Amino acid sequence: MQPYLAQALDASSTFAGAGVGWIDALRRAGADAYGEHGLPRRRDEYWRYTSLNALLDEGFQLSEAAPAIGLPTLPHPSVAGLATYRVVLVNGRVQPKLCALDGMPDDVLISGLEDLLAAAPDRLEPYLGQIAPLEDMPMAALNTAFLQDGMAIFIGENIILDKPVHLISITAPGEGAMMVQPRHLVVMGQGAQATLIETHITATGGSSFNNIVTEMQLAEGAKLNHFVFQEEADTSVHLSGTAVSLAAGSFYDSFVLQSGAAIGRSEIRAYLNGPGVDCRLDGVYLATGKQVVDNTTYVEHAAPECRSRQVYKGVLDGQARGVFQGKVHVMRDAQKTDGNQLSRALLLSPRAEIDARPELEIYADDVKCSHGATAGELDEDALFYLLSRGIPQATARRMLIEAFLSEAIAEIPLQPVAEDFSTHVRQWLAGHIDQPADGAGS
Amino acid sequence: MALLEIRNLHATVDGKAILKGLNLTIDAGEVHAIMGPNGSGKSTLSYVLTGRAGYEVTDGEILFDGKDVIEMDPDERAREGVFLAFQYPVEIPGVTSMTFLRTAVNAVREHRGESVFDPMDFVKYVRERATDLNISDDMLKRAVNVGFSGGEKKRMEMLQMASLEPRIAILDETDSGLDIDALKVVADGVNAMRSPERGMLLITHYQRLLDYIVPDHVHVLANGQIVKSGDKALALELEEKGYAEFLENAA
Ligand SMILES: Nc1ncnc2c1ncn2[C@@H]1O[C@H](COP(=O)(O)OP(=O)(O)O)[C@@H](O)[C@H]1O
Ligand SMILES: [Mg+2]
Repeated sequence: MQPYLAQALDASSTFAGAGVGWIDALRRAGADAYGEHGLPRRRDEYWRYTSLNALLDEGFQLSEAAPAIGLPTLPHPSVAGLATYRVVLVNGRVQPKLCALDGMPDDVLISGLEDLLAAAPDRLEPYLGQIAPLEDMPMAALNTAFLQDGMAIFIGENIILDKPVHLISITAPGEGAMMVQPRHLVVMGQGAQATLIETHITATGGSSFNNIVTEMQLAEGAKLNHFVFQEEADTSVHLSGTAVSLAAGSFYDSFVLQSGAAIGRSEIRAYLNGPGVDCRLDGVYLATGKQVVDNTTYVEHAAPECRSRQVYKGVLDGQARGVFQGKVHVMRDAQKTDGNQLSRALLLSPRAEIDARPELEIYADDVKCSHGATAGELDEDALFYLLSRGIPQATARRMLIEAFLSEAIAEIPLQPVAEDFSTHVRQWLAGHIDQPADGAGS
Repeated sequence: MALLEIRNLHATVDGKAILKGLNLTIDAGEVHAIMGPNGSGKSTLSYVLTGRAGYEVTDGEILFDGKDVIEMDPDERAREGVFLAFQYPVEIPGVTSMTFLRTAVNAVREHRGESVFDPMDFVKYVRERATDLNISDDMLKRAVNVGFSGGEKKRMEMLQMASLEPRIAILDETDSGLDIDALKVVADGVNAMRSPERGMLLITHYQRLLDYIVPDHVHVLANGQIVKSGDKALALELEEKGYAEFLENAA
């Protein structure tokens, strides 16, 4: 049997919704799809550059009860200080005492998924498991076999949500290596607008495997800004798979900042199903030591006159490895598609590496698409210019790296998040860039 | 003791010998001009003096205030008071001119044991100097040299010099690409910096600059050496006759 499958089959009979036909069937479909495929391997198209060998020996056990912990101080004061609807997960389970959901407008529901599975499964049925393609996402299939808890958001037609939703996901492993399988759902009605912020952190020292799946559906003209901050401990494997279904005229803007985890992966699959969709997928990553940081995207232009833009920028030091795998798939009817993707990596050490594979697959004839990937060291001319003004080597390097990333961060439309991300970048650089890398400098 | 003493300097770039036994002494308070044809090694000399990677000294000495600077890193030399106004100032997207200037000035001041500026005080400090150079607040808010005209870049170099208050300033073709009005602004900026404690080395291809900044000494650089030295009259002579004589003599 495939690793982790027995755990899923054992546990799921006790999960909320067991006995409800479609829920049982969905969990079984997840188990079947994963059972057939197993853990992704390098021969899988979307897993070419990231190995999950670390998971093979099934060292991770599903977290039982979440420890009772208080809300930790978040790394980012301004987002923490921002008025938000707050949903807190500890080890994949919603912690009602830590959530702050008062004053939700009519026709808005922000809830724990487990509660809905028990109390109102009908609301979930049209969406859950319908957006993420299990056959293309083996880790989503595994997550579906473990379907239990997470966050669900429903925003009714034409509602402009007054505050961002802040999902704080805390992994707190105990003695043994721990696994969590959270599942999130965001459903936005026609013309609805919202902002979702996610913070992923680790609270304790043990090792963990966090396999997250998020499904999102945006109806006509809906608008979602989505900011993700992944700063899990270097004892963590963090895999996030997001599938977004976008109807005509909708807008989805995602920004993922990853600097944590031994393996940190963000996979986003966006389906542009109606005309006039505007989809932006951006990211910044910082990695050092032996970290692997993976950004994988798939953007499917199924309808005409849609726009998609992707810019991923990162900094790799030590022996860190970056992955950018992005495909823009333009189907036959998707005329007037405007699609582009760009990957830019700064390699600060001779042993750092990036595998970048931007890819266009185009079946329509009237499109404007571009892609590009660059990887390089710090600009020697710029560095010398700063040094020649007396700026110390380490400071000069930090300034140039920060400048490289700040162009991407400046695109974030929500000021407190942009400031937080900048602060985080600055702190990371202060902690990591103090010596010239091997071979750099004079 | 001389402020800057260059003795028998030999330097290579990419293994190619460019400077071949250059001697030059600059005392505090003096302005020297080095003139020479294109490719004679003027910019190379400026980079060797500031310690740029890839410019290797193979023989000779560079003494700044009696201290050997060859082993010093470029940032260390700058903090000691060596300044280069670049022939081609570098664009740095994402770093504002103000932040760049403040970081540099504070690094130098800290090294000198002076107090560092907080951002508010620094704005005042820079504005005083920027006004004289016709540099607007808007330019200071923009990224370093990005989208600046040739003249703006050169004025920004002068602002950096005025803010850093170096002991020795090397100006590499600061006149190139400037119209006459811009040239006057730059020259006024340089003249305002002349002082008994400071030395200057003007690198130029044309004598035009020297009408506005009158040097104490003029040298001709050809084939990696100073081949002739004199006073301002030498610049006028070069203007008339060109460099052909020196190239032939040196060859
Ligand atoms: N980075 C470099 N790599 C190789 N050759 C160089 C480099 N920089 C300058 N040179 C060579 O060194 C010589 C002197 O150049 P330079 O110092 O720029 O002259 P000048 O400033 O007097 O015009 C020229 O022959 C030039 O081609
Ligand atoms: Mg030159």
